[in-house]
Amino acid sequence: MRNASFDAMAMSDVPVNLSRRRFMLSSAGIAAGAFVLGLGVPQRSARAEATKLRGTKVPAFLEIRPDSMVRLQSPFVEGGQGTFTAMAQIVGEELDADPATFVVENAPPGDAYVVMDNGMRITGGSMSIRNGYSAMRRLGALAREMLLQAAARQFNVPVEELTTQPGRVVHAASGRSVAYGDLAHEAMSLPVPNPANVKLKEPEEFRWIGAPVPRVDVHDKSTGKVVYTVDVSVEGMLHAAVQHAPRLGMTIQGVRNEDQVRAMKGVHSTHRLPGAFAVVAERWWDAKRAAEAALIDWQEPGPDTTMRVMPADFSTEAFRKELADAHGPGEDAETRGDVVRGLKNAHTVVEATYASQYVNHAQLEPPSALARFNPDGALEVWVPNQAPDMFRADIAKRTGLPVEKIIIHSQMLGGFFGRHFLYETASPYPQAITLAKETGRPVKLIWSREEEFLRDTLRPMAAVRFRGGLDRNGIPVALEAVSATEGPTEGLNNKRGDRLDDSALEGLTGKSYDIPDRRIAQHFVKSPVMLGYWRSVGNSMNDFLYETFLDELADKGHQDPYELRLHLLRDNRRLTTLLKSVADLSGGWKRGPFTAADGSRRARGIGMASPFGSEAAAIAEVSLENGRVRVHEVWEAIDPGKVVNPAIVEAQVNGAIALGLSQVLLEETVYENGMPRARNYDGYPILALNQMPRVHVKIIESGEKMGGVGEPPLPAIPPAVVNAVSTLTGRRIRSMPLSRHDFAS
Amino acid sequence: MELTINGVQHHIDVEPDTPLLWVLRDDLKMTGTKYGCGLAQCGACTVLINGNAARSCVTPVGELGSAAITTIEAIEQDEIGQRVVAAWIRHQVPQCGYCQSGQVMAATSLLKQTPHPTDDDIRAVMVNLCRCGTYNAISAAIHDLAGDVGQEGAKK
Amino acid sequence: MTNRLKKIFAVVIPASTVLAGGTAWFVTRLPASSFENTGSQGEPSAQLMARGEYVSRLTDCVACHSVPGGAAYTGGLKMVTPMGAIFATNITPDRETGIGAYTLADFDRALRSGVAKDGHRLYPAMPYPSYAKLSDDDVKALYAYFMKGVPAVHLENRKSTIPWPLNMRWPLAFWNVVFAPSDVYRPDTSKDAQWNRGAYLVEGAGHCGACHTPRGLAFNEKGTDRHSAAFVSGALIDGWFAPSLRNDANTGLGRWSEDDVFRFLKTGRNDHAVVFGSMTEAFNNSTQFFSDDDLRAVAHYLKSLPGNAQRDGTPWQYEPTQAKALQPAGRQGIPGAQTYMAKCSFCHGADGRGQWEWVPPLAGAASSLVPDSSSSINVTLNGSGRVVAAGVPDSYRMPSYREQLSDRDIADVLTFVRSSWGNRGASVTAAEVKTLRKKTRPADSGVVVLKIN
Ligand code: FES
Ligand code: FES
Repeated sequence: MRNASFDAMAMSDVPVNLSRRRFMLSSAGIAAGAFVLGLGVPQRSARAEATKLRGTKVPAFLEIRPDSMVRLQSPFVEGGQGTFTAMAQIVGEELDADPATFVVENAPPGDAYVVMDNGMRITGGSMSIRNGYSAMRRLGALAREMLLQAAARQFNVPVEELTTQPGRVVHAASGRSVAYGDLAHEAMSLPVPNPANVKLKEPEEFRWIGAPVPRVDVHDKSTGKVVYTVDVSVEGMLHAAVQHAPRLGMTIQGVRNEDQVRAMKGVHSTHRLPGAFAVVAERWWDAKRAAEAALIDWQEPGPDTTMRVMPADFSTEAFRKELADAHGPGEDAETRGDVVRGLKNAHTVVEATYASQYVNHAQLEPPSALARFNPDGALEVWVPNQAPDMFRADIAKRTGLPVEKIIIHSQMLGGFFGRHFLYETASPYPQAITLAKETGRPVKLIWSREEEFLRDTLRPMAAVRFRGGLDRNGIPVALEAVSATEGPTEGLNNKRGDRLDDSALEGLTGKSYDIPDRRIAQHFVKSPVMLGYWRSVGNSMNDFLYETFLDELADKGHQDPYELRLHLLRDNRRLTTLLKSVADLSGGWKRGPFTAADGSRRARGIGMASPFGSEAAAIAEVSLENGRVRVHEVWEAIDPGKVVNPAIVEAQVNGAIALGLSQVLLEETVYENGMPRARNYDGYPILALNQMPRVHVKIIESGEKMGGVGEPPLPAIPPAVVNAVSTLTGRRIRSMPLSRHDFAS
Repeated sequence: MELTINGVQHHIDVEPDTPLLWVLRDDLKMTGTKYGCGLAQCGACTVLINGNAARSCVTPVGELGSAAITTIEAIEQDEIGQRVVAAWIRHQVPQCGYCQSGQVMAATSLLKQTPHPTDDDIRAVMVNLCRCGTYNAISAAIHDLAGDVGQEGAKK
Repeated sequence: MTNRLKKIFAVVIPASTVLAGGTAWFVTRLPASSFENTGSQGEPSAQLMARGEYVSRLTDCVACHSVPGGAAYTGGLKMVTPMGAIFATNITPDRETGIGAYTLADFDRALRSGVAKDGHRLYPAMPYPSYAKLSDDDVKALYAYFMKGVPAVHLENRKSTIPWPLNMRWPLAFWNVVFAPSDVYRPDTSKDAQWNRGAYLVEGAGHCGACHTPRGLAFNEKGTDRHSAAFVSGALIDGWFAPSLRNDANTGLGRWSEDDVFRFLKTGRNDHAVVFGSMTEAFNNSTQFFSDDDLRAVAHYLKSLPGNAQRDGTPWQYEPTQAKALQPAGRQGIPGAQTYMAKCSFCHGADGRGQWEWVPPLAGAASSLVPDSSSSINVTLNGSGRVVAAGVPDSYRMPSYREQLSDRDIADVLTFVRSSWGNRGASVTAAEVKTLRKKTRPADSGVVVLKIN
């Protein structure tokens, strides 16, 4: 869902801790608004930015209308994670305005909206709330202060005599009050007070922060009123569709029937783009059919291509074998003690290879972009994105236009899960811009679902060779994990950095179990697949790999997996509490197999994860139905430190559980002959309602530093399910998805 | 060709094999009905045709004749639809919202046919995909409308 | 049609080996050609070339002799058999790797007798038993087109991977004697010209029997013309059941009018059906390019072939049997009904009637009525390839359900479909689904139209 390195910078106020994370979103170009995803970021600028006070240009964010409705420009993009509501809660808390009176929109790019402590602006990494929290509170407080000052003038009383009630300034002494809407005009033209002098509320005073405030967008989303990028329409607009080369890197050699395509109903024009053929028409349906109708001869790329080229013989099956056979010492990512000695002295050594699969984002809104060149030379682009400044900088680079001439409209996202970062080959906006230029009219390009499945970036695949050492009591004392994989950041940069990609290994690294000798390493294996960030990134697979191997170790050592985890976490109060909470939530740990009330044989499994600054533990209860795994119940405890909106947290936990289950039960992107086998949901099923278990959520506010919420509930789910299935079947399962395993016998 | 959508007659000039979805979205600019797959797989494009849930991406307009089409834009004018929307708000169902036009239409159709759906009925009929995983909230909202607490919504 | 013949010779070879035992003279002799000693033809006229190109559409050479993305007629199509694979050959006029050195007589012998220039016998994957009926004029036109109208491409043929002795081809000579007709089409003077033209196209150039005629023990077509009741009476080929093209009310064209047949072959669809399975390729590359007169002739002729009421049973009639069963409460007790509603009904309708000519009905469809359920299973597992009519791809296509539905689910839903609305095809077992699942692949969601020049 983000560049995993973002939150290293994000989590540390000052100084930025660059040592834990490897790649990052460069903040070098912040002054110019130019975010660049790249290698080797100068530390200096990040640190300098981090110390500046952000988000203080109040009028850029807030408009208070005469009816006292508050229009807030959100620095974070809404895509279902509830950030708009949380922003309204946080700002509203300090502003003293009911979140229900807020209208929240996506802010344009620009320095003013760079609010995160780390000097970046992206929506991802489950960072919006935790890293925007302090700035957005300050913003609300500053605005309130300005309203108080305006009221002081109006009432001609000292500002100290004034207080606020939601939406009003009150002068208790005289019994007078005035609505924010009546003060706004004057207030917003006052200079912004010195942020150092505004006082923030004490948490005990909170009215909205921490409450299950209803979301601001639910009515519109329940009645089809929200305008996503695919829905935007402007005067004189044409519609476009493309047919991509079947394999990345190929280009058009010829179009056998271009005249005929041009003559098809509704077609305005045809266009040859790098690696794609486009049709522009009056209606998208006509464009799509014409684009499909084009009979194109594709040619292989030349030897000088700088692109990642998909070879004609690439298959995921062969690649999985290649990864599993890729023996090598690997490069250390995390070490403790001496794993060689630990394994040598162990009473028993357990060795196994576990594997993960490629997966698609499969967000329900297909990618699209609308581009319009205005008479004044400006370029407007409507584009789904998780980082408007990065997109603007990229468009500036592509078009040669100065950033001031580029207007980015960030619409609501129809799901993202990491899909809308700057993925060069996976985004329609460069094509839309070219088409708008070539036609001289605004063009909205939508990728059909088939084109999306062809060009989406994928969550990496990995094969991890584990070696675990047990002492004579069956307790793990040494653990080595060498992951043959390529990280998403390495993939995006199409090369290795000089150090490891943290987003490849997180979830193997960062485990809190007290195993004295351990070593986590990466054996880099490049693949031709375009990689991307997928909700919970490295953790989405690595916690599965680690936590299922941990169960294998437990079994080999004749330990109960729950008791073993408690033992390995005995000195960690936060995680012990978490683990016990999830067990309590499920009515007490009960592994099974046992017979349920309906007569089915069931078992439970457990998984834990520490992603994105939060902690999560889950228990899943499964049975087999006609040879397929059915998940009946999921209990999950999550500790994000502090919570802004428990209702949203619970919704996010439900959503993350659904995605985690979808991955572990069903999903796998299969390539054959260099092409994905599935081009729509028919061949790439995702979780449906009748596969959704009952979900029980426990939110723990440990008071630790605030962590993320959107991604953290996911990684514990796959291992909880697979551990349950292993218990139920007595078979050790070492890969996802479960639909590839035959449980019929 | 004449189409009756939300009680209003529209004259449109398209090939009869054009999917209703694209007539709604591009000709009539009614974009509440979503495109997700174009292959009858996701349900984002669900509308009501004579009160029954239909997937507009696989509904050729030439087949519609004088059928009464209801889209999400008019859902609150429908008595049951209005209750569904209210329940969706009570249960805070949507996340990204992209699938929700279709979910609301499907739920409305279910409740028209089966005023008191059981868990099994909900599982059988609510087959639209939601990548955000709002399924339990959907079930809870429908149970709420059916006048029972239901099993699916149970939490904590 | 690309793969439709690939299974044939797999059986032919061992079967014909049994027949071996004749003299070397017989098996190595070159059959006669009517163009023996015909000298060089000189530059063919544009008219002859155009006719040749048209005949190539009728005979659908491209279906086997091109692969998607490859140059026209350079061969390469892999036909996998239990004994190994063979590859269709380069038939461009390249002198070394193609047929550039072929005289008209050589060409004729390959086309109508199945004997290559060097004397080796072609596998009857090449439908020469049907092409034998081609007229001399059509052969001449085809030759002119292949020599001068098709660009020569130097591309070596790929060797078959069938091991010795199964790769010996001379036994095929005996197979030919027994099974392959060796005479050009002779008009039936009791019929009108349109009928005779239709017969020529169906029995000869169009080689419809290659898929639609059941085969005997030696994998020979059980009938090669209208004199046999077995001719185009429906056959299982390559995982698809090619239905009867005779006047069988249920499993054939009995309920179709001549105009229905015409429209089906011209546009790929009509009220009864949409082309799917192997027929998609035959339609995309061949039948739609027939002239209207020729298609009407085909329809006219096919409608003259009597059905077999005994085999076919009483004609299907729609029965609204399932309306109630498909209500949410009712369907949960009926295997397959829930899957039908969740996966099938949005396109094919809760009433099974489909949506006019865009989505075919399942009620009364031949695939729902024939005893053999292969086509039902195959299309459900793998979806349909794109039907491209007059250059425009279909608006609606059948998705693939192999990843969503288990063998049991598919067996249940198809059993439901094949027993609803008056349908009475046999029920489907999970084992049948399992077998086909292994042998087949999902259809391509993109447009595949083979290059012809
Ligand atoms: S868009 Fe119609 S079902 Fe997905
Ligand atoms: S709410 Fe996002 S897809 Fe359903």
